Amino acid sequence: MEPSDEALCERVGRRDEAAFDLLVSRYQERAYRLAWSILRNAEDARDISQEAFIRLYETAGSFRGKSKFSTWFYRVLVNLCLDHKRKHKWWKLLVRDDDDDRSDTILDRQPAPVNDPVDKLSREETLKALGSAVDRLAPRQRAAVLLRVQEDMATYDIAQVLKCSEATVRVHLHRALATLKKTVEKH
Amino acid sequence: MARHPDTDLVPYLRGELPPAERERVARHLEECPDCKQDTELLRDLLGNLSHAIGQPPAVSWARYRAELREKLEARRAQVRWWRRPMPLAVSASLAAALLLVAVWGGRELSKSPDSLGPDEVVIGRELGLLQEFRTVERLDLLEDLEVISNLDRLASERQG
Repeated sequence: MEPSDEALCERVGRRDEAAFDLLVSRYQERAYRLAWSILRNAEDARDISQEAFIRLYETAGSFRGKSKFSTWFYRVLVNLCLDHKRKHKWWKLLVRDDDDDRSDTILDRQPAPVNDPVDKLSREETLKALGSAVDRLAPRQRAAVLLRVQEDMATYDIAQVLKCSEATVRVHLHRALATLKKTVEKH
Repeated sequence: MARHPDTDLVPYLRGELPPAERERVARHLEECPDCKQDTELLRDLLGNLSHAIGQPPAVSWARYRAELREKLEARRAQVRWWRRPMPLAVSASLAAALLLVAVWGGRELSKSPDSLGPDEVVIGRELGLLQEFRTVERLDLLEDLEVISNLDRLASERQG
């Protein structure tokens, strides 16, 4: 039977290198994807997600198993991402790199083919606008939306990651989605 | 009609509301066409969002893990440097130097007189002159500099 994340984390706390490697393998894609969704830059996402794993290695001993490992780890990761964004905000204002890894079109990222070209164009525009609108959300609103949509996390878990109440998460989500809905309605 | 369950709609769609709350929201949606429409829009929006957010550029995971290993090793080396025990001779010299500075500093401090305020300095300068006046003997405190500064005039008036 596969060991649970929590059991592996406990072993990492005892400096078990194999357990660490296994946890990295389990979470590397999710960590990188979430960091990229928040930061919108592949290099930063790689650095920050790796930093989250280093923090995991260093502080695994303090994991008490009160919450799920994933929640604990995502909290570390999201905090690192939000800190990174805060620190680099002034620089981004000076050097606007619009960004980042968005050179591919929305169509390139579409898994399902759409038959009608008009629908396809309209849908592409809508999704593009929606993607930009997500980028413009307030950091915590965006984090809440990404944790819900990408990681399929429950409100309770998002609250644990963002260290706030469930009611606050509901408000974050409601406000964020109201903003995004307006974007869709314009198209 | 009860208040619109705006913030409950997302948890409702995900099916994470407790039964009583779920029932309340469902009942509201049956009665409120606006909220019902909102819920449908939200459902579509949540479905589209993952496509809109997209996927990050591909990564070579073997390289990713190798980089991570290097970074972790560098961090450990950093920690080891900070935790490395100081050689006995160096730590003893450092302790002796600190002790010397503490002793010397303490002596210097004990030698130096308490700092004087400007008023006390003025009074000190005029002490010889002040001792000639009887008025001064009756003053409990030499605090009122205005009186003291006029003592010359008072004395000459008395003599006159």
